[in-house]
Amino acid sequence: MATSARTAAPPAARKVPQHRPGSKLRRHNTIVGWSFILPNFLGFGLLTLVPIVVLFYMSFTNWNAFGTADWVGFANYERLLTDGSFRISFLNTLYYTVLHIPLTIVASLGLALLLNNKLRGVAFFRTAAFFPYITSIVAIAVVWNLLFSPDSGPINEVLRAIGITEPPGWLTSPEWAMPAVVIVGTWRDMGYYMVLFLAGLQTVPRELHEAARMDGANVWQRFVNVTLPCLRPTMFFVTVMLTINSLKIFDLILVMTGGGPGQSTSVISQFIYRRGFEENQFGFASSAAVALFFLCIAVTVVQFLWNKKRSV
Amino acid sequence: MKRTFAAAAGIAATAAIVLAGCSGGTEATDPDGPITLTLSGWSLDTTPEFQALADAFTEQNPDVTVELVGYDPVEYNTLLTADLAARSGPDIITQKEVKFVSTFQEGGQLLDVSDVELPDGIGGASSYEIDGASYAVPYRQDSWVLFYNKDLFDAAGVEQPDGSWTWDDYEEAAAALTTDASKGAYQHTWQSVVQGFANAQTGADILDGDYEHFAPYYERVQAMEEAGSEVAFNTATANQLTYQGEFGTQKAAMLPMGTWYVATLIAQQASGEANDFEWGIAPIPQEDASTAGLDNEPVTFGDPTGFGINAGIDENKVEAAKDFLEFAASEEAAQVLAGIGITPALLNDTVVETYFSVDGAPGDDLSKFAFAEHETLPENPTSSRTAAIQGILADMHTAILSGSSSVDDAIAEAQDRVASEVGTD
Repeated sequence: MATSARTAAPPAARKVPQHRPGSKLRRHNTIVGWSFILPNFLGFGLLTLVPIVVLFYMSFTNWNAFGTADWVGFANYERLLTDGSFRISFLNTLYYTVLHIPLTIVASLGLALLLNNKLRGVAFFRTAAFFPYITSIVAIAVVWNLLFSPDSGPINEVLRAIGITEPPGWLTSPEWAMPAVVIVGTWRDMGYYMVLFLAGLQTVPRELHEAARMDGANVWQRFVNVTLPCLRPTMFFVTVMLTINSLKIFDLILVMTGGGPGQSTSVISQFIYRRGFEENQFGFASSAAVALFFLCIAVTVVQFLWNKKRSV
Repeated sequence: MKRTFAAAAGIAATAAIVLAGCSGGTEATDPDGPITLTLSGWSLDTTPEFQALADAFTEQNPDVTVELVGYDPVEYNTLLTADLAARSGPDIITQKEVKFVSTFQEGGQLLDVSDVELPDGIGGASSYEIDGASYAVPYRQDSWVLFYNKDLFDAAGVEQPDGSWTWDDYEEAAAALTTDASKGAYQHTWQSVVQGFANAQTGADILDGDYEHFAPYYERVQAMEEAGSEVAFNTATANQLTYQGEFGTQKAAMLPMGTWYVATLIAQQASGEANDFEWGIAPIPQEDASTAGLDNEPVTFGDPTGFGINAGIDENKVEAAKDFLEFAASEEAAQVLAGIGITPALLNDTVVETYFSVDGAPGDDLSKFAFAEHETLPENPTSSRTAAIQGILADMHTAILSGSSSVDDAIAEAQDRVASEVGTD
């Protein structure tokens, strides 16, 4: 195979271009380029693209993991629209996302601004802020569960000490369980996004800051009018990634609350997991996965359009 | 030219890697030659029952070898499902949870094994019957009993269980046993601990979508938490308490738990992980006096563990596989299992003797009675709707015990959800 490719190539290269000059060369380069990304694309195709296409097909069937999958048309989607648990999971997912994104952006940008200064031991603090992101999620869940313990947890001890007589029940209360998960989610993710913001801050030209200072702008004005506009590409990337990751939130919920108490922290990914892997309704679970897919796409497209409009 | 070569080589290498992953195939078995059966299990290092059964069977049938295939215990059914769907499942499929039996059966993965003969008095066989045919054979059946710490009873001056207890007696004793150092009882956070007893002792069927019968059982748990005679559910979940830790280190005087804990407790007392104290098992408290007492059969619950046969098994291996199933349900296998602290599905006097002859096992008659005599109703009815309904009831469980919903509201919500999301008969 390799030899035939070697012998076949020279005549092709020697041929005189028949159409526009350079088109042959361009085609040749394209093919070579494609052949270089082919191994990666094969992996992507086999492990990602094909399963997604199959997922779309499965969402129109009643497949239960074995044997034949009967075509049921839009029955799964109709069921999804009337399913109370899906509605709750959908709203909980939006709730998590709406709370998690701004909190994480504020926290990680704040950290990045602090740690962008020349400071003794800055490398240590940067590493420390990144630690939660690389810590095992199960360990995180165990420790935070203890911290949030309503009666004996340190968080409520502190709240009681500063005069709050009835501190929240956190993970045991349907109202506070989701905020508690968001707090842990923010704490875990802020180190990662901090690194992205730190990289973004390096691109802010020093001259702009100096010019602004000369014009008498104070720290806040410089942040709003110089730093933030220069950070816009980073901010856009962070927002898109955060949105997608928030909509897909799964592991943290699973290990911290299991969706409880009741269904108060049940999210779409968990709904998919339970219908699919616990109840073997893979067809129905697939339709929920497709719904989540389109939700992510829709939100991302809106963000892209908005970003484009602003950059004009 | 060089680049073309590199690209072609790259493609060839990638194709080779991809194709290597898809190799496989089956080889036909000679019916007269030696036969190897594969059998699925989990945590093989710490779950000796599979190897013990395999060895005992091969001893009887030297030309049949049973090879174990280990799976992760938590993802057992998911991994097995994947293997079966890919037609690479084991010959003998261990049924870890009854709620998956109907999935496997409806998916055409299980061979009809109605012709395998079962000994009289074996428990749990009905859990594997679907439309009059059997799809697996039980070999192990744990049931729920009451573990109690005799030392703590004596220290508190409370009379030990005598087999006649109802839940009222249990609640009273728990209150009397509670001290500053230890609680009267520990109720683990699983939904089974409340719902299993409620279903079995009131004769309710979770498939019918009516859950009013749970109310008194939940109200009792709430009352006991209120009185401080057991650790609150929220504390148990937040601090991730384990029942082994609570009972084994004498933080609770009583523990409703499955008989699998007998072997664990013996081992942990021997290793020093659990404190050294006198303990015993008693029949689980009853709904009312009509089923309580040593002249009655106490009602409890539990699901069997069993073996089924892969529908795609090599025809020449079917006989050997059925022989293995018959062996696993036999008294001989029961003796083997009892010898390593496993509760066999077949219980008779000699099996019970073997079970309690282990060093560190309680020797009193009530423990033997509690272990051997009970009407054990299935926790999970064999139906394709069971998994979904149990999921909804698990949500109800956390909603009630976390205190985020009243008992009546949570039950009403569960009934609505089952009716609208799963459907009733």
